Amino acid sequence: MRKVGSEGETILAVNDLKVIFHTYAGDVKALDGVELFVRKGEVLGLVGESGCGKSVTALAIVGLLPPNAEIVSGKAVLDGTDLLGMGEEKLRLTRLKDVAIVFQDPMTYLNPVLTIGLQITEIVASQPDLFIPELIKNRLDEISTIEKAKGELVPKLQVEREKLRAKSQTNRLGNEELTRLTRLYATSILKSVRLPEPEKVFKMYPFELSGGMRQRAMIAMALIRRPKLLLADEITTALDVTVQAQALQLLQQLKEVIDTSVLLITHDLAVVAEVCDRVAVMYAGNVVEVADVKELFRNPMHPYTQGLLASVPRVDLVAEQKSIQGSVPDLMFPPSGCRFHPRCPRVFEKCPVAKPTLIEVSPGHLVSCFLFGG
Amino acid sequence: MKSKPPATEDRYGRRADIKYSLYLLKLNPVVLVGFIISIVSIILALISPILVNPSSWHLQNLDLRLCWNNPAFNWGIGGVFDCTGRIYPLGTDQYGRSLSEMMVLAIPIDLEIALEVVLSAVVIGVLFGSIAAYVGGTIDELILRITDIFLAVPGILLAIVMIVVMGRSLFVLTLAVLITWWPFYVRLVRSQVLGEKEKPYVERLRAMGAGRTRILFVHVVPNSIYPVLVQATLDIGSVILTVSALTFIGLTPSPLLPELGNLANQGIQYIFTAPWLILFPGLTILIISLGFNLLGDGIRDILDPRLRR
Amino acid sequence: MKLYEYIIRRLALMVFVLFTLSLLIFYLTRGLLPPSTALAPYISPRIGDAGKLSLARALGVATSTCPSFQDFASETNGCIVPLWGQYYGWLVNVLTGNWGYTLLPGIAGTANTWDIFFSRFAFTAELSICAAILTIIIGIPMGIVSATHNNKLPDHVSRIISLGGYSVPQFWFGAMLQILFVLYLRVNGAGLFDATGALSITCGICFHNPGEITTYSGMPILDAALSFNFPYFWDSVIAVTLPAVTLAITSIGALTRIVRSSMMEVLRQDYILLARSKGLKGRVVIYRHALRNAILPAVTVSGLLVAYLLGGAVIVEIVFSWPGVGNASLAAANVLDINFLELYVLVTALIIVVTNLVVDVLYSIIDPRIRL
Repeated sequence: MRKVGSEGETILAVNDLKVIFHTYAGDVKALDGVELFVRKGEVLGLVGESGCGKSVTALAIVGLLPPNAEIVSGKAVLDGTDLLGMGEEKLRLTRLKDVAIVFQDPMTYLNPVLTIGLQITEIVASQPDLFIPELIKNRLDEISTIEKAKGELVPKLQVEREKLRAKSQTNRLGNEELTRLTRLYATSILKSVRLPEPEKVFKMYPFELSGGMRQRAMIAMALIRRPKLLLADEITTALDVTVQAQALQLLQQLKEVIDTSVLLITHDLAVVAEVCDRVAVMYAGNVVEVADVKELFRNPMHPYTQGLLASVPRVDLVAEQKSIQGSVPDLMFPPSGCRFHPRCPRVFEKCPVAKPTLIEVSPGHLVSCFLFGG
Repeated sequence: MKSKPPATEDRYGRRADIKYSLYLLKLNPVVLVGFIISIVSIILALISPILVNPSSWHLQNLDLRLCWNNPAFNWGIGGVFDCTGRIYPLGTDQYGRSLSEMMVLAIPIDLEIALEVVLSAVVIGVLFGSIAAYVGGTIDELILRITDIFLAVPGILLAIVMIVVMGRSLFVLTLAVLITWWPFYVRLVRSQVLGEKEKPYVERLRAMGAGRTRILFVHVVPNSIYPVLVQATLDIGSVILTVSALTFIGLTPSPLLPELGNLANQGIQYIFTAPWLILFPGLTILIISLGFNLLGDGIRDILDPRLRR
Repeated sequence: MKLYEYIIRRLALMVFVLFTLSLLIFYLTRGLLPPSTALAPYISPRIGDAGKLSLARALGVATSTCPSFQDFASETNGCIVPLWGQYYGWLVNVLTGNWGYTLLPGIAGTANTWDIFFSRFAFTAELSICAAILTIIIGIPMGIVSATHNNKLPDHVSRIISLGGYSVPQFWFGAMLQILFVLYLRVNGAGLFDATGALSITCGICFHNPGEITTYSGMPILDAALSFNFPYFWDSVIAVTLPAVTLAITSIGALTRIVRSSMMEVLRQDYILLARSKGLKGRVVIYRHALRNAILPAVTVSGLLVAYLLGGAVIVEIVFSWPGVGNASLAAANVLDINFLELYVLVTALIIVVTNLVVDVLYSIIDPRIRL
């Protein structure tokens, strides 16, 4: 059973996020007032075609947009603080502890000349005092497991346990102790993402691992931080279907254990149906529909969402596969008014003139379309 | 903002490429400077016989030696002899010749040698490098070992010995510099072709029945040539530096030869009494070499497919 | 293949390269000009014909059956040893440690080629090492700063310096430095630096009687340090400054450009984005993640830089009258002093080949994907 917080517990709220990229040929209006929120403990899917701005949204939230991007307006409030207004150092600490992002292609996102182990432990080493309670707790858990398995503890381990318990009061560790515990913690995280022989993997380089293993290593790098929010940007896209399933399974299991909220970005509706609690649909820089996952599949309201669902080939229906007419707009010269209007089968006079906003049409189901008011 | 989207031809294809190149050029105005300097030097080299009588470097006029009468600048050292007669914009050397005239005569000599060396090195490099890379095996080993040998010697020494042994003439000078330069090009072309020959289109050409020579020289080489051209442009400057260094240490056919390094060499004895003799020829070398380096850099920055977005 | 196998293979290659090089130089010096030119480095007007003949025999150019010097000079009566024979004779001498005598100026007393060469070589080594140190400690940071502050002021300044350094003729730069510091900038009435060589220094901030040092390595700076003689040490440092800067300026330019371009390329990579997203500090991202990847092309080029520094030393030594091998090699080349030239070429080639080997091994250590 998925634990989803009640209405009021939002971990992330994005309001009116507008981002422009200044390029040589002109300005690309990538995000045009994105609105979404993630509840505590849930998995929110963010779907859309390539180029609709999903990744840009994620990068904007953590402040990692390229230098030619400008956040024109908007807020991204994580657990009370606006990330977009933060100073650089505070933002860095937020990235370290509160928001983790996992990227798409583990081959290019892992540093080829550093070991997996180093790329994980350096996170802890970056600001050790934030992690010390975790380190100690992890080691104490390990010792307890050994105790349970063997029935009793070797004196060395007993001494260690006492020392650790004392240290957890002061929250300080010596350097050697820190390195050792960090290594143990990292190894246990590698184990929890189901990497075989984690001690070996620790010393290996990215090119020595398979694609699926690399992806898990990236997930491990996110999870070691126990973030409040996990942004998963197309993490299954570069993987084979079978490996995809494993990665998603992993994500679900971990979500339970670590109690994090997930913003899952994907263009694959099957993934959404499998894993997400709620879904937000994006088109050309706007969120056009938000609903619970079952509700969305059962009752898509926005013409784009309907088109999207109709274009997915289905085994059980004889109906023809339909694609949405027209092509993705050039965001340097976006359509006026509702950005979908040139392709919309139900377009009418108001659409090119004004921009619709997200309105709650039925409980939990929001749509941005003049057909439903807005 | 308003604006209609531009026509499709403007967004993709050739016109867009040119527009983008011009944009990059705007970001990198220094390239233009390099281009201008290079063009100016070449033009100067071409019209030099018109500006200055080409045989005037034989004429010595010892009454006018080592004098400076350009009112625009004062050296601040005592005992600078004042020339009589016309203004010598850059003073005179110890043979009484106008330094500016000698420099104008020197530019074509240096540029010509540089172009000869670079072009020959490119040809040799393309020939041996592409064969070595494409054919592989023993030939590759052999060519590689030969380049190893030449790359293990500091080029200057090899050039010095060659010039001493084979005589001090411009031809030997050119040959000597070429001998030290060609291994780089063979290596460069070889590594480019090695990468290029693995590309799918090569296999396709072979399957279509094209002969090896044809594939190599008509298809593979032109696609690999780009970094070689960049390097060649940069090297024009470097060759001028090497040649002038060699003439500077005395390996010229004649002490009177109007060649930038030689002029500097003649001048170094008078470094504290007539500093212009070494200052201006060296400055010219610096500017010309700077021009070609900027140009080569610019070509690389603007045309390198990896750097373009 | 294993590391030691690789190294052995490379060393075997090195022997081959050195051998062929010695052949090449031998051919150039002895094979293209008449045999009597081989005597040029050793002849003085006082030597009579008989003396010249025995000299020619000693050098392995004339056969022992040669009747007279005139026959030798006109190359008749079977007087000339064929080139291969000459080479063989030379090789045997050299491999048994006999490098002959030279008339080149040396340090204190001896005329033995080997001793003269290596006593001068110490000076060249000192100059090259100082230039190499300068290149690394200026070139790499400048390249990094240039890349991380792309298109801002530090980048522009560093690009000007590096491009200028790369384009400037070294002899001219050296001369300009001399004009500047000796002629125009003066301290206590004397030029800040002196235009002459390492050992005689008269300048306002220098010591005038630096005292004695014991010769450990032949390199003034090192020996002075090991002898704890600070005045001498300081004087040596001052003396090497201008020549080292002149020698280094071109390689600083080259290294900065390479570091800059490879850093810029690395900073665009995805794994840098990930490193930043992990909340790592900026310095960690640059030095641990970016630099380790970006340094690889610079390491490759270091092999070439060593060759360049050794070669460039010739010009710089001449301009500053530095008593090193480069300086002497010009004089040696002019008289075709074969022993000196061969020794010079072989020692330099040895250094270059070994450096390249070290660079390749280093490369495989830095980048775990490279297997030798």
